[in-house]
Amino acid sequence: MKICVLIKQVPDKDSSLNISDDHLTLVENNITWVSNESDNYALEEALLLKEKHGGEVIACTLGKDSARQVLKDALAKGADRGIFISDSSFDNLDVLSLGKIIASSLEKENFDIIMSGLQSDDQGNSQLGLILAELLNMSHATLGMGTEVVDDSTIKVKKELEGGWFQWTKLSLPASISIQSGINSPRYATLKGIMMVKKKTVDEVTSGDVAADALESNVTINKIYVPDKTKETQFIEGSPDEISEKLVELFRNDIKVLN
Amino acid sequence: MLIEHSFTIIEKIVLISGICISLGSFCFEVWKRLRIVLKGTGSLPLDRIGERLWRVFREVFLQEKVIRGRLLPGLMHGFVFWGFLVFGLVTLDHFAIGFEFPLMSLETRHLYSYVVIPFSILVSIGILYLAYRRFITKPKILGKLSPTSGLVALFILLLMATYLLGELELQPLVWKINWWLHTLLILAFLILVPRSKHLHLVLGPFNIFFKPFHQPHHTPVKIDMEASEEELDEMLSNLTKMTQNQALDIFSCVECGRCMDVCPAYRGGGILNPKDHFILDLRQPLLETRDVDVLSQINVEAGWECTTCQACSEVCPVGNQVEKSDEIRRLQVLVEGNVPQEYQKLFTNLQNTGNSEGATSSSLVDRLPKFTPDMEYVFWLGCFARYELDPNFTKSVENFTKILDTAGVTYGILENEHCSGDPANRLGDKLTYAMLREHNMEQLENSNKVVSMCPHCVLNLGKEYTKYGDISYKVEHHSQLIGRLIEEGKIGVNIGDNGKVTYHDPCNLSRMLNIVDAPRTAIQSVTDNYFELPESGKNTLCCGAGGGLWWKKETVGKTHLVRAEQVVESEADTLVTGCNFCYGMMNQGLDPLIPEGRPKIHVKDISDIVADNLQ
Repeated sequence: MKICVLIKQVPDKDSSLNISDDHLTLVENNITWVSNESDNYALEEALLLKEKHGGEVIACTLGKDSARQVLKDALAKGADRGIFISDSSFDNLDVLSLGKIIASSLEKENFDIIMSGLQSDDQGNSQLGLILAELLNMSHATLGMGTEVVDDSTIKVKKELEGGWFQWTKLSLPASISIQSGINSPRYATLKGIMMVKKKTVDEVTSGDVAADALESNVTINKIYVPDKTKETQFIEGSPDEISEKLVELFRNDIKVLN
Repeated sequence: MLIEHSFTIIEKIVLISGICISLGSFCFEVWKRLRIVLKGTGSLPLDRIGERLWRVFREVFLQEKVIRGRLLPGLMHGFVFWGFLVFGLVTLDHFAIGFEFPLMSLETRHLYSYVVIPFSILVSIGILYLAYRRFITKPKILGKLSPTSGLVALFILLLMATYLLGELELQPLVWKINWWLHTLLILAFLILVPRSKHLHLVLGPFNIFFKPFHQPHHTPVKIDMEASEEELDEMLSNLTKMTQNQALDIFSCVECGRCMDVCPAYRGGGILNPKDHFILDLRQPLLETRDVDVLSQINVEAGWECTTCQACSEVCPVGNQVEKSDEIRRLQVLVEGNVPQEYQKLFTNLQNTGNSEGATSSSLVDRLPKFTPDMEYVFWLGCFARYELDPNFTKSVENFTKILDTAGVTYGILENEHCSGDPANRLGDKLTYAMLREHNMEQLENSNKVVSMCPHCVLNLGKEYTKYGDISYKVEHHSQLIGRLIEEGKIGVNIGDNGKVTYHDPCNLSRMLNIVDAPRTAIQSVTDNYFELPESGKNTLCCGAGGGLWWKKETVGKTHLVRAEQVVESEADTLVTGCNFCYGMMNQGLDPLIPEGRPKIHVKDISDIVADNLQ
């Protein structure tokens, strides 16, 4: 089983995020960069599949030079090698163009499975897994809550539906699967894993290696801004007990003034 | 009538055979265990021999720790122990009589019996009480009923009875039968002792002698990122091996359960039972493998629950360093990669930002003076204060700076201060700890005096760092500095009105840094209505936040509430503490526990109560 895991480097949610004066990018000085949360779960799922069925896990990222760190982290956790896709001409491309770049970078690898996080914590497009499936002619499932390899050509994926429902779907391999956060317990890099990183290879892909048509963006960013805070009124109805219960729930989950 | 009895040659042969079998078995069993102990890493310490002997005198001969905390059972144990000492000579003489070479003359023996007889009665009372406690009242902490203990109690009673009987004027035949019964009991006792927890009466004194002076005493993990794969493998394989001290602990344990009595996790209904998880669970693996490579057998869940408060190691009457959460956690982190998600987030924060919260700015830092070489003190903030883990504590920081300003003490903070590494250290991430430690040591290179309000930081900067290299600075806890400023008259204080005031000793401050008096000096100079909590000083009870548990989202029991409940029960009006984590736990934990109608308990740092009452 040859599995690729796509990992994106994103700003840490706890960083103080400031927007640049032209309102087009984030000021990067104060940002702490981390691996995208759901991608960590995708990596863990891939490593678990490898432990069970053998094979190879390849971590792949597309980003600026600092993004090498997410590959290092993945290699330390047990990925066998890395693919680093980076070029200044890749900045500010939309998700379809990025999908094309990644697809052409991964095409010759003939992966059985491409795993990605459900969505990135920064842009939140939630489309990359699906785009790659389309471009690389793979089957696709999203909101993956569990995986089970049936045989060399089939995998079952537990998908999250609305309203607390789940669905097991059979996919023929190769498949691109987007993983939901919380489906497993991602491991921590062991000391040996960290020390072994320097012995593992990372292949580099730049603009010369990808199709020219991928480098055109179909989307332009006009303005980045912090969501406006507006007043919000909610009417809570019901018996006093129901009202107090809903209130506590609101305080706890929405307004977050209770633990 | 004082007479010497004679023994036939056959009796002497039987006697010498019995001694050989019994003593041989005793020595074999003890040697079997000592061989395992000697396989341990490191060596048994022999420094500060005078202090060690003094400790043995207090804790063994005076039974200090046995009696303290459990007065009646402790005293009864004392009777048995002191009786044994008195009986030492009697026993040697007893065997010598069997060979017709008595050590004492008939008159001396008779005179000595005036000492021994009262002791034999005290021993009998003691052992009867202990048996009653073990088999009738059955406290839970003593564990499963032990038939061996019953047998030992019976042996001791019979030994006393046969001794007392021997002191009467008996028919020679009855005397002889009684003599042989006494002999057989001693020989059987010798066979039983090394196979049971009663081995503590042999190993206990040695274990107390060898106990490390400073707690916690975990072997530092030195990581060399340039090491070869073989060197790394060897370093990692050593992580599962016990030290000689630790192995000796396991065989010395008397299973009394005092460690359970004081463990906040156990008392809070958690999984962790220090007696089983840190000590007894490892005894069988040691004996079965005849090796010390057993640390991986520690229950992982129990290990994550430990607050590393060292109460178990402090209270142990046989000198065990009970706590082994460091050992199991570092294995989980460095070897297994099995780390709870909230701790992974904590470690990532520490690696990426140098602080526990992943914060990139601090408004408090902007407001405080920055250290320059002409200043006397580096004021080490620590993440708790710096990133306002409890926003109310910011006021305490300001109160401390107010005291320093009043006294004319110059101080400044380090802009590039990183977490002291305490959570990484305690949670087993020794790599992240090394990173933080190296950074901070560089930052402190040109400092002489450091003061901090966080005992976790004081412990790491001042003591834990020295396990890895020399430090050039001295670290003080702010209570020490405040206490001194008051004593030297650099600040004047008034007696204020804070109602009934008590002090919660932080574990890191009292047990690990031995700072017990300074906070009291400071507090008692501003209040005349002070009282001690039931567990105080070096016997304090953890607030529940230590050992990285501040960052743990869910625990099985209510470790975090045990102390808070005790504080509420004490009916204090003001609770003073000397640790920001304790402050946070109490500040957030007390209110919901206070019964309706009772007034709020004010939680204050030492700096608050002193600053409020400055002249």
